[in-house]
Amino acid sequence: MRRLLPWLFVVFLASVPQWMHDQYFLHVLINTGIFTIAAMSLNLLLGFTGQLSLGHVAFFGIGAYTSALVSLGFDLHFNDSYVFVFERKPVWFAFVCGIAVAGLCGWAIGRLSFKVRGAYFVIVTISFAQVMRLVALNWVDLTEGPMALNNIPPITLGIPGIWELTFLRKLPNYYLILCVAVLSYIVIHRLVHSRAGRAFIALRENEPLAASVGIDVTRYLVLATAVSAGMAGAAGGLYTHYVRIVDPDIFLFIYTVTMVIMVISGGKGTLAGPIVGGLIFGMLPQVLREFARPEAQWIIYGVAMMVIVLFLPQGIVPAISALWRRRSGRSPDRSDPESKTMAGLHTAPGAAP
Amino acid sequence: MTKVVLEARNIAVRFGGLIAIVDMNFSVHEGEIVGLIGPNGAGKTTAFNVITGYLSPTAGSIVYRGRDLAGLRSNQIAGLGVVRTFQKTSLFGACSVFDNILIGLHRCGARNAWEILLDLPRVRAEEARLRVLAADVLDFIGLSARRSELASTLPYGEQRLLEVAIALAAEPSLLLLDEPVAGMNPSETASFMELVKRIRQRGITILLVEHDMRMVMGVSYRVVVLNHGRIIAEGTPAEIQRNPEVIEAYLGRGAARA
Ligand SMILES: Nc1ncnc2c1ncn2[C@@H]1O[C@H](COP(=O)(O)OP(=O)(O)OP(=O)(O)O)[C@@H](O)[C@H]1O
Ligand SMILES: [Mg+2]
Repeated sequence: MRRLLPWLFVVFLASVPQWMHDQYFLHVLINTGIFTIAAMSLNLLLGFTGQLSLGHVAFFGIGAYTSALVSLGFDLHFNDSYVFVFERKPVWFAFVCGIAVAGLCGWAIGRLSFKVRGAYFVIVTISFAQVMRLVALNWVDLTEGPMALNNIPPITLGIPGIWELTFLRKLPNYYLILCVAVLSYIVIHRLVHSRAGRAFIALRENEPLAASVGIDVTRYLVLATAVSAGMAGAAGGLYTHYVRIVDPDIFLFIYTVTMVIMVISGGKGTLAGPIVGGLIFGMLPQVLREFARPEAQWIIYGVAMMVIVLFLPQGIVPAISALWRRRSGRSPDRSDPESKTMAGLHTAPGAAP
Repeated sequence: MTKVVLEARNIAVRFGGLIAIVDMNFSVHEGEIVGLIGPNGAGKTTAFNVITGYLSPTAGSIVYRGRDLAGLRSNQIAGLGVVRTFQKTSLFGACSVFDNILIGLHRCGARNAWEILLDLPRVRAEEARLRVLAADVLDFIGLSARRSELASTLPYGEQRLLEVAIALAAEPSLLLLDEPVAGMNPSETASFMELVKRIRQRGITILLVEHDMRMVMGVSYRVVVLNHGRIIAEGTPAEIQRNPEVIEAYLGRGAARA
C-alpha cells in the first residue's frame, strides 16, 4: 500500500488538468511544482546530510541563466579585436547544460567547503548566492543586468524540421514539470536507500562515528551537494523556459527561505516532506490572494508557518507517519520507507572525546 | 612471538602547554588482546585518537602492518582495518539498530553513485548481501531481537553493544575499544568478556582501554600501563598486578578488588 501511494498520487496529479480547466489555477500549480522540485533538492542536503544550504537559490538561478543563455546564444567582447560568439543551441540541450553547470557549481561548493560544516557551510552558501546575484546584475554584456533576458524560447523536444514538440502553453508545461518532479523523486529515492544515502545520514547523525567505520564523509557531502545543485538547476531551467524571462532577482534570498520553509514544514529527511510542504506553501499565497484581503495574506501565511513549527516540530509527514504507526500498533521497521530517517536530528552527535 | 601489527614509535602529544603523551612506544602483535590502562587523564583516549587519525601527534609515528599512518584521515585508517569505538556512547541515534549496522558495513559495499542512480542489478544484489551480513553481525552480538528499534531508545548496556557491533560491521583487523563496559552491570560485563574472546576467535586483534580491572586482567594477554602520558609498565596481567609502581600510581584499591 505504501509503495503504491506515491504512484496513486502521481496519477491524481496527472488527472488534475483533465477536470480543472482554470488556467490561473494551472499556472499556480506549475509554479508550485517548480518550487517543489527545488525544495526536494534542498531536502537532499538539509534533510539527509544535515547541512543547511541557505544559498540554495543560487543553483536554481544558475540553472535558469545557463539554460536561457545557451538557448538564446550570446557574445562576449573581450577587447576590440576579439569577440567570442556563442550560437544559440536547441532548448533541450540548453536545459541539460543548465543542470550540468549548476551541478558543477554544487560540486565546487562541496569541495570548497571541504572541512566546513554547520554554520560555516551556511555562510559559504549564502555568500555564494549573493555573489551570483551581483554577477547577474553587473555582467551586463552577458546577462543584460537588471534589464533581464527576454524572449527566452520555450522548451522543445524532437528533431528540428521533422517532428517537434514545443512546451509553450500551460498544459504541456504542467506535464513536463510533473515528469521532472517524478524523475527527481526517483533519483532521491534511489540515492537515499543505498550505500550512498546511508553515508549521507551517517554524516548527519554522527560524523566522527561515520569516519571511524571508513566513510569518506567529505566525498559523500560533495556528491550530495552536486546532485542537489543539479536538481535545483533543473527547476531553474524549467522556470526560465516557462516564464520566458529571467532577471537577477531570481537570486533573492526570499526564494531560499521559501524552499527551507517547504522542507521544514513538510518534514526534512523524509521523501514526501518537501512535496507536502511544497504543495502547501506553494499554493497558500495564491489561494489567500483569492480569498483574503492583502494585509491579511501574509499574516495568515506567517501564522500557518508558526503553527506547523510549534505543533509539529518534525514536520507534517513525520507527524502523520507517527500517528499511522500508533493506530496500527506497529513499531518502525525496515519495510517502512520513512522510518530510518523520520526521527530527525534530536540526538547529539558524540564527538571524538 | 607472532608478528607485530601495530607499532607506536616515540609518540608525543601536546595540547598547548599540556603534555598529554610523552614519548610513547608500544606494539601490538597479531591475534593479541592488549589492555591499555591508567588513571583518569593518563592519555589513553588521546592515544586512540592518534592511532585512528582523529589527532596528529606532535612527534612520532604510528605504523600499522608496515605502513606509516602519518597523514592518513580517519576514514582511510579505518579502510586499512583499524576500527575504534568511542568512550562516550556514539551511535546513529535516529536510525534503527539494523540501519546502524548497515552504515557500519559501508566498507563491505562497492557500488558507486552512477550504478545506484541507474539501479543496476548489481546494486540490488549488493544490498541483499549487505542485509545478510548485517543480520549476521546482529546475531553475533546478540541484538537480533532489537533490529527494528531506534538506536537512541535502547537501554544503555545494549547501546554499548551496538557500538561494538557497528565497529565489527566495518570488518576490523585491529579493534580498539575505549572503555566498552563503563556503566555496565556485573552480569553485562561478564557476558561482554565472553564477547571479547569470541571477537578474538574471529581473528581480530584487540586493543582495550578499560578501568574495570577484573575485565582487563581477565581477557588481556598483555597489559600496558600509562601514567601522566608515560608508559610506566608493560607485562602479563599477573606481572602488572604485582608491579609496585603500578600499584602506587593506579591499582591501589583496584588491585585488591581484582
Ligand atoms: N582535545 C583536547 N584538548 C586539550 N586537552 C585535551 C584534549 N583531549 C585530551 N586532553 C587532555 O589530555 C589529557 C589526557 O586525556 P585523555 O582523554 O587521553 O585521558 P584518558 O586516559 O582517556 O582518561 P579517562 O580515563 O578519564 O578517559 C587530559 O589531561 C585531558 O584533559
Ligand atoms: Mg579516555
